[in-house]
Amino acid sequence: MQDIFSNLFEMTALGAISYKTVIMWIIAFVLLYLGIKKKYEPLLLVPIGFGVLVANFPGAEMGIVDASNIELGDGRYKNLFEIAHEYGILNFLYFSLIKTGFLPPIIFMGVGALTDFGPMLRNLRLAFFGAAAQIGIFTVLIGAILFGFNLNEAASLGIIGGADGPTAIYTTIKLAPHLLGPIAIAAYSYMALVPVIIPFVANLFITKKEFVINMREMDKKYPAKREIKNIKAVKIIFPIALGTAVAIFVPSSVPLLGMLFFGNLVKEIGTSTSRLADAASGPIMNTATIFLGLTVGATMTAEVFLIPKTLGIIVGGFIAFALSVTGGIFAVKTYNLFVQKKINPLIGATGLSAVPMASRVANEMALKYNSSNHILQYCMASNISGVIGSAVAAGVLISLV
Amino acid sequence: MEQNLSNAVSILVVGMITVLLILWFVVIIGNLLIRVTNKYWPAPQNEGKTGTGIRTISSGTIAAIMAAVEAVTGGEGKVTKIEKE
Repeated sequence: MQDIFSNLFEMTALGAISYKTVIMWIIAFVLLYLGIKKKYEPLLLVPIGFGVLVANFPGAEMGIVDASNIELGDGRYKNLFEIAHEYGILNFLYFSLIKTGFLPPIIFMGVGALTDFGPMLRNLRLAFFGAAAQIGIFTVLIGAILFGFNLNEAASLGIIGGADGPTAIYTTIKLAPHLLGPIAIAAYSYMALVPVIIPFVANLFITKKEFVINMREMDKKYPAKREIKNIKAVKIIFPIALGTAVAIFVPSSVPLLGMLFFGNLVKEIGTSTSRLADAASGPIMNTATIFLGLTVGATMTAEVFLIPKTLGIIVGGFIAFALSVTGGIFAVKTYNLFVQKKINPLIGATGLSAVPMASRVANEMALKYNSSNHILQYCMASNISGVIGSAVAAGVLISLV
Repeated sequence: MEQNLSNAVSILVVGMITVLLILWFVVIIGNLLIRVTNKYWPAPQNEGKTGTGIRTISSGTIAAIMAAVEAVTGGEGKVTKIEKE
């Protein structure tokens, strides 16, 4: 009888639950709470949270194993059937879809199919602020090295400052895959906290006089030199031309930007490719998001996540994010010193990715100071250029680190 | 660590210059495309005559009608005249 109870106990996970397991469950519950109740990036935090939960069920063998387990030596690896058989379905998904770098570009294709370059094309000078807002990536890279991260880890940490989830994941897969879980969580958490971080930084550095700079009045006072007579043609040619230029200068960013421009192209062509655009921005992107979230969550086992470096990533990620916002604001302030047609510094604050949430937040802030100062379209210009900027920054990091 | 720091500083410089360069391309390519399309492919203007009613239809409605016709006819159909009853 005692044997039966002993076997029954061993069959359950009760004997394998440690305090670390419980901490990971709490983290999973917090992520699920933030996604479900608070609606912070629910499309990602819910699958990531659930992935964390299943990865930390003792005995379920759903956690992602270290890559060394699938290496056979001489540059050879176990095949997918062996991985699925030995380590379970989530490892199969991880090594086939994430480790190969497949899903982030697929998500970028969907993002491209949802992106409208129109606001940027109508306000091209604002595109430069998407560059200034990448400063957080590179400054935190230096800071992280001072705090003991190696170059690869520091680059993966810095890319959180780009405020772009797929870009952060893609860079980390390439440079420091062992930090994928904490970096993805930090990136998406801070993206969800854009409504808190941007106002926090903006209120620190933008004066009331600058908050009320009215972009439409500036446009009336200093009208654009030329109008766009055929926006549809420009929008179709733009992703092809820019994609070619980017491919020549930063080829390592092509997996992300190439797919972004392809998704955008099939959207802009119109009805003849609308089925492709619908597929890219709908079923394909949604499927990719589910697998990305679950597998990234499943990388967060207690052994990988509960280490001092995770705390460094959480703090460093916030600093990278805040510095990027600050960089954009100060770039606008500097620009305003030399021109008559002033720009609202909130537009610089949206130079990181996080489209369109960053633009919405900046617009709401401008409306607080002047209810007729709608700057959404202008913010979208620098916000979209920020997507391009962060993908280019990722390409630079992957090439040089 | 010093070697890493030195690398990180060069990555900062090269990275920021590259991002700026690519976004400068965005501006250059965007402006170039606008100039070329304005000169060679300006969008056809509405050719409705006074009294035909087309001028009283909003551009959004016209775009929706044209898209619907294009979708239904597989791109072969063309809207030549829109009249309001």
